[in-house]
Amino acid sequence: MRLHHVIPKSTFLPIFFTLSSRTPNMPKVESLCTMTNFCAHITPTVRENASTKTPITTNPPASAYIHLPFCRKRCHYCDFPIVALGSSSSQTDDDPRIQHYVELLCREINATKSEFQTNQPLETVFFGGGTPSLVPPRLVSLILDVLRSKFGLAKDAEISIEMDPGTFDAKKMEDLMKLDVNRVSLGVQAFQEELLKACGRAHGVDEVYEAIEIIKSCGPKNWSMDLISSLPHQTASMWEESLRLTIEAQPTHVSVYDLQVEEDTKFGILYKPGEFPLPSDTDSAGFYRMASRALAEGGYSHYEISSYCKSSFECKHNSTYWKNNPFYGFGLGAASYLGGLRFSRPRKLKEYTNYVQNLEKGLLDCRGNNDVDVKDMAMDVVMLSLRTSSGLDLQSFGKVYDGRLVHELCRAYQPYIKSGHVVCLDEQRRALTVDECNGLLLRKEDNFTRLRHIRLSDPDGFLLSNELISLAFRVLSP
Amino acid sequence: MGFLRKTSQNLNPKCFHLWRTSSFLRASIVNSKLSPYRFALTQSFCSPSRQNLKEAGIDLTQYPPERIRNFSIIAHVDHGKSTLADRLLELTGTIKRGHGQPQYLDKLQVERERGITVKAQTATMFHKCNLVGDNTSEQPPFLINLIDTPGHVDFSYEVSRSLAACQGALLVVDAAQGVQAQTVANFYLAFESNLTIIPVINKIDQPTADPDRVKAQLKSMFDLEPTHALLTSAKTGQGLEQVLPAIIERIPPPPGKSTSPLRMLLLDSYYDEYKGVICHVAVVDGVLRKGDKISSAATGQAYEVLDVGIMHPELTSTGILLTGQVGYVVSGMRSTKEARIGDTLHQSKTAVEPLPGFKPVKHMVFSGLFPADGSDFDALNHAIERLTCNDASVSVTKETSTALGLGFRCGFLGLLHMDVFHQRLEQEYGAHVISTVPTVPYIFEYSDGSKAHVQNPAALPSNPKKRVIASWEPTVLATIIIPSEYVGAVITLCSERRGQQLEYSFIDSQRAFMKYRLPLREVVVDFYNELKSITSGYASFDYEDSEYQEADLVKLDILLNGQPVDAMATIVHNLKAQRVGRELVDKLKKFIDRQMFEITIQAAIGSKIIARETISAMRKNVLAKCYGGDVTRKRKLLEKQKEGKKRMKRVGSVDIPQEAFNEILKVS
Repeated sequence: MRLHHVIPKSTFLPIFFTLSSRTPNMPKVESLCTMTNFCAHITPTVRENASTKTPITTNPPASAYIHLPFCRKRCHYCDFPIVALGSSSSQTDDDPRIQHYVELLCREINATKSEFQTNQPLETVFFGGGTPSLVPPRLVSLILDVLRSKFGLAKDAEISIEMDPGTFDAKKMEDLMKLDVNRVSLGVQAFQEELLKACGRAHGVDEVYEAIEIIKSCGPKNWSMDLISSLPHQTASMWEESLRLTIEAQPTHVSVYDLQVEEDTKFGILYKPGEFPLPSDTDSAGFYRMASRALAEGGYSHYEISSYCKSSFECKHNSTYWKNNPFYGFGLGAASYLGGLRFSRPRKLKEYTNYVQNLEKGLLDCRGNNDVDVKDMAMDVVMLSLRTSSGLDLQSFGKVYDGRLVHELCRAYQPYIKSGHVVCLDEQRRALTVDECNGLLLRKEDNFTRLRHIRLSDPDGFLLSNELISLAFRVLSP
Repeated sequence: MGFLRKTSQNLNPKCFHLWRTSSFLRASIVNSKLSPYRFALTQSFCSPSRQNLKEAGIDLTQYPPERIRNFSIIAHVDHGKSTLADRLLELTGTIKRGHGQPQYLDKLQVERERGITVKAQTATMFHKCNLVGDNTSEQPPFLINLIDTPGHVDFSYEVSRSLAACQGALLVVDAAQGVQAQTVANFYLAFESNLTIIPVINKIDQPTADPDRVKAQLKSMFDLEPTHALLTSAKTGQGLEQVLPAIIERIPPPPGKSTSPLRMLLLDSYYDEYKGVICHVAVVDGVLRKGDKISSAATGQAYEVLDVGIMHPELTSTGILLTGQVGYVVSGMRSTKEARIGDTLHQSKTAVEPLPGFKPVKHMVFSGLFPADGSDFDALNHAIERLTCNDASVSVTKETSTALGLGFRCGFLGLLHMDVFHQRLEQEYGAHVISTVPTVPYIFEYSDGSKAHVQNPAALPSNPKKRVIASWEPTVLATIIIPSEYVGAVITLCSERRGQQLEYSFIDSQRAFMKYRLPLREVVVDFYNELKSITSGYASFDYEDSEYQEADLVKLDILLNGQPVDAMATIVHNLKAQRVGRELVDKLKKFIDRQMFEITIQAAIGSKIIARETISAMRKNVLAKCYGGDVTRKRKLLEKQKEGKKRMKRVGSVDIPQEAFNEILKVS
């Protein structure tokens, strides 16, 4: 990507750039990540030498992702870094494996360098997994204490935890509430016994209703329900039922994930996407449309490709990702984004343990030094923002990157604006007509005041988001 | 080893060779030349003498023409030509047994992989033979040049060049397979060049070997005396000791005059990174010395001889080349374009009568070559330039395609030549190319009497303003030799391919011999594969160019969403248009992925649509979850997708994967 002398006058999203000239042949951020990932003994000197990028200053991170990898068993679609405890373990309170892991995790948090001058307390914390609800509340409390003392925790911070039906009772829910956990993400996935069984979930439909009851009686007001569409043998009527029951349960937030068949999972071995017993692409696209329509009618707004919420109940933590803001990541396989560097921790417990030890010895630092390949950054911004209903702010983007690039991007999108896959919005976020868009693009208006945002349409554009985003990548990185 | 290696490589033998004579049994041939030459040889005492040469350096003045033999080996593919060459090089100590790689003279990767020879190569050997009746004194050795030739019809250009420097040839025939189509063609090439032919029945160690049957075939087809055939196994070494003596005994020495002014024939040239242009030459008359000033008869350009020597088998400087000798010259030419194959080189100060040159190259198959990645045009340009330095038989002109961008229209001698060129581009220059459907040169005549020679179907207007009143296509004369049980199937195939039977006879009790006139167009794509498959691989096939014939030809366009794809246009016979159009459309439907819009694929003649398919729009392509902020993984997936798109070619709004272009090549 060609860079022009751009000195941003205004903030572009949350990132402030100070761009100077760029050295050619810069190593990519990604390769750095991989490097650190593989050799935990990497020395700071090497890292410094490798980085010759444009310095940027970023906001200090205000979000932390905590990975709690324990599950009773592995679901058939899952390729996350998890630790399966064995199906019998519903009693996990004194499982030494959990205890040891949490201690290790706390050591990681403590060993993390924080030189951010501003005293930015954490605004969001997300316990993901795995099945975090298998972790005893006293250990969750331990983690929160370490986070609080290390980074500070804002009074009204969003603290989310993923919970699976059948892994918690009212008591556990209440205990978590006492720790200021104020958002629950409930992994329901489906409302049909046969589907739950087919995807290897460790719970049945009864536990689902039970869990919903517990949350509604003593859980937080802000809770989300996770569903998976396009499961094997799933029919349109099953999906319709799941959506209806979801809306009836009245969560403030719904996540709908279209099943990804990953290699090296049981599903990956058994099934091929688009082939029986998985729904065809056409059916699967139909499920996506059904969700979009049903949830809209149920009062949910589709604010991201796979996320829906009642007004003002967007997941703040996830919004960090989509806005390309920095965040901490702790625990097995967790990804962090600090100082412009994306870094994924080891996915195996043994390597992760070594990693923590090296971190404590000061041999490692998973922060970038804010030298960032601007093209990489632009691609991330486009990829992430186009996942959301807010879309891409062309004006800010053009100021930080290159106005001509924004024009090129719009031109590449023109056929898709015409076909309705891409929508242009004005400064009041009103949709522009195709003719208005074409007219504005013809005039080569440089400051993008009237043609202010582009977003992918719901559901057509979202459904083909990979196509559309990779098209944008071609413009940004020919 | 060489033998084993070659058999295993010949899963895809592209055999064939030029079939030169119209009358098959025109052969009261060779006998005059077979009479033993003036030396009588002891068959046993032959010793390598490289050691002595090494110590003494090579003094070529010891080798007057009468101690020189220049020969080549000609054979049907896989009859053991390269292995025999290896053995002869070993016997003379030119290469060490078990050292150099098998198929020593096949230097190109493509040659080794396909088990074929593409580029002529030369090796000089020294061999000592004691003559009968002269046991008393030690005889000086002979200088023997082996000029290796390609076997395939496409490379007959190379063959005729090589044969021009030879006085004899070993005609190698597999003892089990007997005479094959290429044997016939090669025989006539050599025969027409007035070469002495030594029949060698090879692979006699095979359980199915039947040398007597082969001898009978040689007699009946070429009038070669059964008693003159040598029986060998290059694999086991059996009978090899007779070969060199036979060469010395039967092949006449080069006929040039040592006392005449220098005349040498430029056989070949290639570009070497370090030395520059290296010319292979045969000194016909006179002497060439390092430091001489030489001139080209064709261009008048003068050069100084910077280095001169022989291929032994690596370049070995000798400072001199004498009459009848074959070697190399480095003369400061900047480009192989200056080195015109077939040119006569002579001393700058003396005028000479130029030697007869070679027939100009005739390009029979044309195809567009485009960089697979549009941005690699310069790289492809460079690669083609370099490669044509070594293969002057390819014609190259720039071409622009709306679908594929900037590229080249290349003319080849045949389909194998084209394949080999592609493969060399990839292997030797790392170029990735998309090739368009090969086409043959057609002639169209318009109502106003004008004629258009069409080497690129896209250049022919789909809806011409002038009416086409006639069209012509090139034909070939094909020779097919098959076991008699396949005759029916082969006749069916040839008539499907619009062939006209010219001859049908039996060469012995089991083998039929057929001659057909076939449109070249029907042969270029997959005729030989088809022939092999219906005859379980037993057919041998060869062809030579013949005249143009009138044919009802039409231009077949492929349209994507109504827009013609220039690189996919073809010219076909009207009767076949429907079928070919249908096949092309079906193939494309298979290889073009669903895209964001519906795609219509049509085949059309002028404005008439003859086949149509649609690809419905893509339903979804979405990654649901950005798990735990793991942006990197998602990003990688999308970048992969982007790279995939980048490799595609875009026509209008349709992305066409490269495989689609490659696949339609296979539609006949």
